[in-house]
Formats: sequence, structure tokens, C-alpha cells
Amino acid sequence: MYPENNKQGLTKAKEIYKNRSRRARELKKEGKKIFGYFCCYPPVELMTALDIVPIRIMGDMDEPITVADGYLPTVMCCFYRSCLDIGLKGRYDYCDGFVGSHGCDAAERTTHIWENYIKTPCSFYLDIPHTSHSGPVKFFQEQINYFKETIETFVGKKISTLRLKEAISLHNKQRSLVRNLYDLRKPDPPLITASEVLQVLVSIMVIPVSEGNRLIEEVIEEVKMRENRPDSKPGRVLIWGALIDNTALTELMEDAGLHAVIDDTGIGTRPFWHDIEENDDPLSAIATHYLKEIKCPRTIVETGTTYQNDLENRFGYLKNFAREWNVNGVIANIIRNCDIHGYEVPAVKDYLEPMGFPVLVFEQNYTTSGLETLRTRFQAFAERVSS
Amino acid sequence: MSIMQSEDKSRTRKSKKTLQTAREAGYLGKKVLEKAIRAREEGRPVAWSMFLWYHDLIAKALGVEVIFPENYGAFCASVRKAEPYLERSDADGFPSSICGYARTVIGYTSMLAGNNMVAPPGAPGGGMPKPTVFLARAAACDTGSKWFQALGRYMDVPVWLLELPHTGVKEFYLPGNKELNIQFVKDELKKFVFFLENLLGTKMDWDRLREMVDQTLKTLRLAYEVDLLRRAIPSPMISQDFWAILIAHLYMPEDPEATKFYKRVYDEVKYRVDNGIGAIPNERYRMMFAELPPWHSLGIFDDLADKFGIAMVMESWGYHVISPIPEEEIENIKDPLEIIARMSYRMWSQHNDSALAYGAGPAYFMASYLRWAKEYKVDGFFGHPLMTCRAATYTLLYIKDLLVEKLKVPGVIVEGDIVDLRVFNEEEAFSKMEAFLEIMDHYRGIRKKEGLNW
Repeated sequence: MYPENNKQGLTKAKEIYKNRSRRARELKKEGKKIFGYFCCYPPVELMTALDIVPIRIMGDMDEPITVADGYLPTVMCCFYRSCLDIGLKGRYDYCDGFVGSHGCDAAERTTHIWENYIKTPCSFYLDIPHTSHSGPVKFFQEQINYFKETIETFVGKKISTLRLKEAISLHNKQRSLVRNLYDLRKPDPPLITASEVLQVLVSIMVIPVSEGNRLIEEVIEEVKMRENRPDSKPGRVLIWGALIDNTALTELMEDAGLHAVIDDTGIGTRPFWHDIEENDDPLSAIATHYLKEIKCPRTIVETGTTYQNDLENRFGYLKNFAREWNVNGVIANIIRNCDIHGYEVPAVKDYLEPMGFPVLVFEQNYTTSGLETLRTRFQAFAERVSS
Repeated sequence: MSIMQSEDKSRTRKSKKTLQTAREAGYLGKKVLEKAIRAREEGRPVAWSMFLWYHDLIAKALGVEVIFPENYGAFCASVRKAEPYLERSDADGFPSSICGYARTVIGYTSMLAGNNMVAPPGAPGGGMPKPTVFLARAAACDTGSKWFQALGRYMDVPVWLLELPHTGVKEFYLPGNKELNIQFVKDELKKFVFFLENLLGTKMDWDRLREMVDQTLKTLRLAYEVDLLRRAIPSPMISQDFWAILIAHLYMPEDPEATKFYKRVYDEVKYRVDNGIGAIPNERYRMMFAELPPWHSLGIFDDLADKFGIAMVMESWGYHVISPIPEEEIENIKDPLEIIARMSYRMWSQHNDSALAYGAGPAYFMASYLRWAKEYKVDGFFGHPLMTCRAATYTLLYIKDLLVEKLKVPGVIVEGDIVDLRVFNEEEAFSKMEAFLEIMDHYRGIRKKEGLNW
């Protein structure tokens, strides 16, 4: 980590990152309703509009999986095994509600197991289509409406259109602020490290949106003003793949000489890169946004007439990321047993390598104890991309 | 002499399939593959399709020969010829943890593409011919949608993804949601027809589609009635038989030959039930199996039957047919697309009542086992977590837990794989099962004490 003169926002983010449930527990004591949710797809705007605090459920790479072994076989997604494990251990016991989703097989099946063993007064399973043309968007909107009605019934009040628009606006502001945060990583050296950004992103997913927005504003202000900035490093890389919610990985990359300046991950750019259109049909806008604009490989983009067209349709935005953030390499992070990313690996390489971006693929078990073996691979990759 | 008359109550222990019809069923799989090879040679369209719960009838009615790579993966495994394909998939950069069927076919396709789209030498059954279109699915597993997309690097073939919603149990019972889901599937099927018509330059023959749907319903009805017959004690048919005959109802139910075949299966099983003949002699334990079997090592179930008297009386939710749609639900429906939509959605929702009754979802992959445990008077549950099929593995420990909690039916877990025989330890599996016998005995006593009637 880098020594700082004035770290108010960054320090706050670090503290929230380290103690992710503290704010939710405080709010719970104050009488707020707290809902935990899986992955990028449950519309947080609806919960915010009802004064429910949405909390992104994450695992813990530092915590050995012990209890979940009895519920999810070891060959399952390591991330969701960890989520369930710490859920069963009571780490999310402050939740009044749980929103699962059909993000992927892992999210979907774990949702049902979670609902059965970790009881909350309210729960909802959000089915999500796998394509994004008009029919699935309309169907998704109807499913979102069922979700809306379920939480309205639970809270005992209706969401007005005005209130929903305000919530969308608040979350759009957050999306915009996150994009501003990533802009600070465009210079060389970047003004803020990947680990610091990750601490901020994890933090804003476990506190109310308005508090999150203030936090990002403070961090941006602080980072712009600080004197001790990150050093230049040989590697400027794009991280693509499964989510990262622990700085152990990004710090390892930084130690090895790699600045992860941009990413395409589930606790990174994906939930924040596009705004929800602010119009008079907010539910439709929400459905369109979540299904069409979140670039998770679980949603199938229509194939082109050739493989090259297909790659362009699926990964064109990665090329833009790579160019705008001036990267010289790509790291594909696969959490073991994550099928949706696993299938993509050769295609991502097929797309990016011919453009001159070397791709390093690594699989990890979503545990900090096994990461050290990656150090030499990251170091070798840093040398490769800088030569 | 008919099959039934030749039935012997003390059948040979070495038989891998106890039904004569099951022993004969291999020709059905060959027929599917051979028709596709012939179509390719004649310039007619061929589809590689995920198992689609009857959506593929639409392609068939438009004159497309449909083959099923999942089945081809299982076939390669069963003849122990999958390894070179698995290795090729690994070499091409796909993780070894993805679906074993997909790895097999990715490796096969890589070799096909490298051989100028001619089946590589030694391909089981002559290999799968290059397709005109891929039919992917948004149901059951992520592989269902990602696999064919991944094949794009080997051949420029269009992919159509068929949506099939996964409604949760509580959510299924929300007012209007069931019909909304069915309407969504139906609308998507209409788009699918339009897509295929454009691709093939032909128009749908709706009468033909309706005939195929009607024929399918006949086959499914027979298959369902066979399932009902299997409740008998001793079990007239076991998993080894079921896994051999499933091609008829999964992959070609619209073919009158499949219906005829199932009539023979029904007659054979009925004869056994009427005469108190068990599929295995001295049935001592009735178990059910989830979810996908070790295709490369099915002989282990014969050994378990021989040594311990274990009859696998029910198995593999995903391979079973739907129960008949209530007449009042479809009697006024003329549109075959709507019937298909109702059939496929039923697969994913028909056990919701059972899930609701036990307070545990989901219906698919899970609640059927709670239902079957009672209906088939099951003593034990055999869960087979797969190294490379997470979709069929996620809920196994959960089912095991619920069965013992709700119905006092214990379970045993034996790890393995559908395709990769290197990760299946037959000796260990056998030892585990031997130890499990006492547990099943113990729980028989508990069920009796708790008033459960088996």
C-alpha cells in the first residue's frame, strides 16, 4: 500500500472493506430493512426506493470452507461455496430479506439452498432470461415486477413512480462516480491503485447508495489531491473474468509489477458501466439495463455470420477498454468451476491476442491460501508485457 | 415364443440390462446418427441440438435431422473413446472442469474442423456430421447456452438459443406467473420458427408439426406409464434398463418407431409386474440414483445388484418424461407451439407441488426425489457428484439432506464423472455401498417407528 498524507475517503473505504457487515448491522439496529442479494442482476433501485438497504453477498477468501461442505460438493463454484459457507456461519444474519437470481447455475442453485437453510422473513428468486432481444426483456420486466410486488408487500407500502425514478437517479449517480474513479486509472502511473478501487467498490456494495456516493466523492477528491501516488509499473493490464472481492489478488499483481488499470468483472465495471435510462417507464428501463447492458457471459449475445463478427459482438467493449486505458496485457481470472467464464477463455484469447494484447489465464480456488503460487506467473507476465 | 413367455424369474446375473427391449435399444441411437449422416451426404439440413424438451420438434417438422451432442458425449464415454477428444479440448485451451460431454464434443469438433469437416478416423458411430445450425438452450445448465457458442471457433454455424424459464417454487404460485412463463416460451418458439424458415428457405408445415406433437405425446404417455409400473415391488425394471431405452423418449419421441418400441417396453414391464417378477432376483434394497450416471462404468450397478440385492428403482430426473398435461389444460389448444411450450415448461414445474409440500425448492433436479422416495418406497439415495457437470451436482447433498430429514431415507455419495473414467474409483464406490447397507437397514426401523409405510 502507498503512504498517504490525507486518506479520509480511502481510509473509510478500507475500514468498510475490512468490516463489511458493520454498517448494515448499525442500520439494522436503527430499524432499517436490509436485503442481501446475489450477483449483478437483482435491481437494487427497487430496494432503495423502498428504503431497503441492498447488500451484495460476497464470500470470504480468507475463511476456510467448512460448513458448506455439507451442502455443496467440492466440485461446485468456489465463490458460491464460500458465500454459502459464511452465510451458514451467520455472517449475513442481519438480513431481513434475500434476493437470489438465475445469474448462472451456481447463483441459481445456491439460491434455493440458501433459501432453505438461511431463513429470512422475505426472499425472492429472480429468474433471468439468457438472451436480450425484446421478448426476453419484456419477460424479465414482468419478473422484476413480481419482485417489486413481493418486497412492497413485505414492507407494507407501494413504490411510487417518482420514488423509483429518484432511486434510479441515485444509483446512476453512483455509476457515474465509479466511472470517474476508473478515469483516475488512465494516467501512467495511475492515480489510484486497483486494490484501492476494489476497496471502494466492495464498500459501496455494502452500504446505502447515498453513503456510497459520498464515499466515492471523498475518495476522488482525496486521490486528486494526494502527493504520494502509485509508482509506475511495467504492466498495465485489463482484468477480465470472474469477480474479485479481495485485494489479496490485486496486491499480488501490484507487487509483481502489474497495474490492473481496468477490468471487466462482476465487482468491477460490470454493474456500473452503463446508466439506466431515466424515462417515464422506469421498470422497462431497469429490465433493459440489467439484461442488455451488463456484460456478463451468462447472457448470450447473438452470433454474427462469422466467428470474427461473433467475437466483435461479444468482446468489442474489451478492445475499447484496452485502448482507452492503454493496457499492454490482459489477465483472465477464472474462479475454478465457473463455467460461464471457463467457456469464454479461448474466445477471449482469439479476440485479444491478434490485436497484440498478450493474455495470461489463471484459475484460482477463491482462497487466499493458494495465491502465492501465482506470484512468479504474474512477475513473468509483467516482464513479458513490458518487453 | 413372446418375450414375456420367455421371462425367467431367475435371470442371469451377468446381464447388463434385464429387459429384452433394453438390450435391443441400441439401434435407436444408431438410427438417429445414421439419419443425420445420410442427410448431410444428401445436402439436407442437420442440427446439433442440446436436449430441448421437445422444442426440437420444430426443427424436425421443417425437415432438419437433429442429433444430440450430449448423447454423443455419453456414447463416446460408454465405448471408452472419449479420452482423445477430452485431451484435444484441453489442448485448445478449454478448462478441464467444464462439462465432460462438451469437452468431448469440443475435442471432436476441433478434429472435425482439422479434417476438412470429415469425421475424424475412428469416431464412434461414424461421427457427427457438420451441422447447418446449432440449437442451444437456456435451461438446465450454463453449458446448454455456452457450449455451442464456444464451437464458433471451429465452424461458422448459426446458433439459436431457446429460452426456457426456471421459475422458483414460491414464484411459480404468484398469480399469473405460470401462464406468463408459458406465453414467453410460446413467443420465443414463434421467433424460432421464423428464424429456421429464413435459414432453410422453407415454410413450416403446421399439420406435420401437429402430427409430431401428437405422436410425441403418445410416446411420452407410454414412457410415463412405464414409470408408474416401476413402483411395483419387486422392481420390474431398473436404472440399467432405463438408461438404455431413454433415447426413444428423449431424442426421437415423434418417431412412430419410438412409440412402438415403448409399447413393447410397456408390455414387457407390465408382464413382470403382473407376474411378480423382479428385474433382479432377491431384491433386498430399493435405491434411487441422481443424477447422471458414470456411462463408462455402468457395470457397477450389476455388481451391486448381484452382491447386495440393490435394485436401482428410479433415477435421473432430467431424463424422465413429464407426467401427462391435464386434459382441461390443453383440450382447446390448437396451436402446436403452445402445446410444446406447455410440455417443456411442465418439465421444470411439475414437481412444484411436492416442493411446496416439503417447504423446499427447487422443483427441478430436486423435488422429484422427495416424491419418488415415497412413491417407489425407496430405502436409499445414491448421489453421484460429477467432476464436470455442476448442474447435475449442485443439489445432490441438499437432496440427501432433505430425504433423511423429511422422509428418513438415507443417502450415500460416490464421486465420479459422466465421461472421464479416470476420476471414478469403482473399488471405493463398491466399499462405500457395502458400508451403506447397514445404514439403510437402520433407517427402515426409524421409518417404521415414525409411521412411514415402507
